[in-house]
Amino acid sequence: MKQKQPRGGGPSGRAVNAALGAAGLAAFLALGEVVPRLGIVKERYFPPTSRIARALGDEITDGTFWTDLGDTLTGWALGLVIAVGAGIVAGVVISVVPYLREATASTIEFLRPIPSVALIPLAVLLYGTELRSVLLLVVYASFWQVLVQVMYGVRDVDPVAEETARSYGLGTWARVRHVLWPTALPYVMTGVRLAAAVALILTVTAELVIGAPGLGARIAVAQTSQAVPEMYALIVVTGLLGLLINVGARSVERHALAWHQSVRGEVAV
Amino acid sequence: MHASLVVSGLRKVYEGSGRRVEAVRDLTFTVDAGELVCLVGPSGCGKTTLLKCMGGLLTPTSGEVLVGGRRVSGPPPGMAFVFQEYGRSLFPWMRVGANVELPLKQKDLSKARRRELVADALESVGLADAAGAYPWQLSGGMQQRVAIARALAYEPEVLLMDEPFAAVDAQTRADLEDLVRRLWRQRGITILFVTHDIDEAVYLGERVLILSASPTVVQEQLKVDLPQERDQLRTRVAPRFAELRTHVYEQIQAAKRGEPS
Amino acid sequence: MTDIPPEPTRPSAWGSLPLRVLFVFALPALLIAFWWLTSDGSTNVYWPPLRTILRTFPDVWTRARLRADLVPSLLRLLAGYASAAVVGVALGTVIGSYRKVRAVCEPVLEFLRAVPPPVLVPVIMLFAGIGDTMKIVVIASGCVWPILLNTVEGVRAVDSVMSETARSYGITGPARMRAVVLPSASPQIFAGLRQALSIGIILMVISEMFAASNGLGFTIVQFQRGFAIPDMWTGILVLGLLGFLLSVVFQLVERRVLGWYHGLRDSSRRSS
Repeated sequence: MKQKQPRGGGPSGRAVNAALGAAGLAAFLALGEVVPRLGIVKERYFPPTSRIARALGDEITDGTFWTDLGDTLTGWALGLVIAVGAGIVAGVVISVVPYLREATASTIEFLRPIPSVALIPLAVLLYGTELRSVLLLVVYASFWQVLVQVMYGVRDVDPVAEETARSYGLGTWARVRHVLWPTALPYVMTGVRLAAAVALILTVTAELVIGAPGLGARIAVAQTSQAVPEMYALIVVTGLLGLLINVGARSVERHALAWHQSVRGEVAV
Repeated sequence: MHASLVVSGLRKVYEGSGRRVEAVRDLTFTVDAGELVCLVGPSGCGKTTLLKCMGGLLTPTSGEVLVGGRRVSGPPPGMAFVFQEYGRSLFPWMRVGANVELPLKQKDLSKARRRELVADALESVGLADAAGAYPWQLSGGMQQRVAIARALAYEPEVLLMDEPFAAVDAQTRADLEDLVRRLWRQRGITILFVTHDIDEAVYLGERVLILSASPTVVQEQLKVDLPQERDQLRTRVAPRFAELRTHVYEQIQAAKRGEPS
Repeated sequence: MTDIPPEPTRPSAWGSLPLRVLFVFALPALLIAFWWLTSDGSTNVYWPPLRTILRTFPDVWTRARLRADLVPSLLRLLAGYASAAVVGVALGTVIGSYRKVRAVCEPVLEFLRAVPPPVLVPVIMLFAGIGDTMKIVVIASGCVWPILLNTVEGVRAVDSVMSETARSYGITGPARMRAVVLPSASPQIFAGLRQALSIGIILMVISEMFAASNGLGFTIVQFQRGFAIPDMWTGILVLGLLGFLLSVVFQLVERRVLGWYHGLRDSSRRSS
């Protein structure tokens, strides 16, 4: 049960919150400008905000930046799609086939926490700096996020709804489509959201550590060539990318959830 | 007998985003030490607002509340509160014993004394065995008993109860009502009991305060001249009980229509 | 961010004990057998036979090697994770308690959290060099965000009736934090700690891959660069085992601390 927000809920409250947030952001940027200028930290290590902004301007007018951004997004999206597809199929099959859930539980519990960065040396040997290296890490890490949420969602299926569907003679496929899938969908969306964030982390990691082309590799180049402001600018880009992914995934999830609750409300009455 | 609880000229206006809502207009009444007074009123009449002002959880717009002669400006030390939502008022991460003991830790008491108070309070609500259980392992009625035990162990002069039995089933409710009567007679605490149930108010109270619809004033104060010994079976069928509840019912209907008494 | 992980599978109507043992061990045994058989005659340099990997294992992971590589890695992880937990919970409690502070900090925190933690490695190397401090700071600054943001959410969502109960009994200040706010937020805090643990392991490994003279990440990359393929595979196994064991330890701690929460959820599920 969510408690009601006594204040700050109305439109004026939201405007105040937005203004406070903007003030916070402005203060953060100003601090980033002033602290190095005053020499509290060395400008060489921590360039002022304006210097980073200039570097960011240089980056976005550079064609190779966009190629790298495209590479990062390709690795992220492809890895996410594969992980989500595989996660959903595996999750549904494991949940629907009798005894498969019990038989796979220990294996999943063992494989899931294995850090995907453990696969970095293998990826380097097998695929070098190819896209497949990135995909190996991204898919391994994101797959479990989706799988676990799908299984959790399927377990949430109302037994009464399931019985009803069975009593009307719906076949396995029809039950999956009309009963299981609608119930599990919000969980799937949560899984996708978590997987999207993890996929970005692993994409950038693979590029940074293995050297596969993309923003991560660009950061590594900036680091080795001592181009500190450029490095910060690229980090800001990855942050904005992450922010965009989080916000986007959350709004998609909210839509799926709203739809879900209204449907459940109708069924329950 | 001196007044234990004095409410004079209490007014509460909520102000938020361009709207002003006057929840309580002008409330004045007293509760004597050792008295059990029930407050009834039409739904949405600001009972909870009043109670929170008395408990020091809300600051009144004007007027004042005195507990034991002292003006309330925050939760007064001699007062305990029993909420309607027992499930949200007990802390689910603490066992029953710890829930009852928690408020005592704020007082300067020895560990032995605390343990004694907890055991005694649980004993008197009939839950001596439940100290080691978690609240959510108990039924709703038992959880509310725990909340009452917590209030008792606190040794308050004044006990405020905010529709405490609204969320339990009818049989449990009757048991809990008798429990409150018994504890009141044994311990001589001042109790202000808020309810929306007219029968409950008449059955429990020595006096019933009927509130008007919001903005709230006191519609009527009614002395309940039923015998001290009350009984779920006989009291509730007594002719005097029927008269009293009819009277209260009429007053509440009048309050809803906005007529003065 | 606000997701409280589903509780691990309950030992429900799984039938008798032997059947349960069968379910737990059958598939892993099958998979290992499959790996063993398919890799047995392998001449592919990158996929050595499992037999070779297992034979190499005790030679590579000697007591001395564990002391030289595993212990430093674990200590860095522990130091970074623990400081992230302390800072995250403390700051999160403050930010979560004050609506205005939260409104001011929210956009900045959302941004900082969205930065993929591994890109912090080159930045922190600028400040902290390549020693242990760098690794600990990297781990801490990656782990702190999920803990911080989950704590903010948890503290914010403390039930209004519980707060009023505490207030009416004069439970305020530090006592309120200890007895009411933190326990009430603890399920959310643990969700953050769990996310932070996997991030911490990732950062432990890659900070050692970047620049180090010991540690698991360093050693495994050394094996790979030296084309000691079976040794590298044993390293991957060790990292996998470490991830699994840390998650088991985490679950044990969580079960203990949040026992009340799982009980509460089960009881409300039964009654609904």
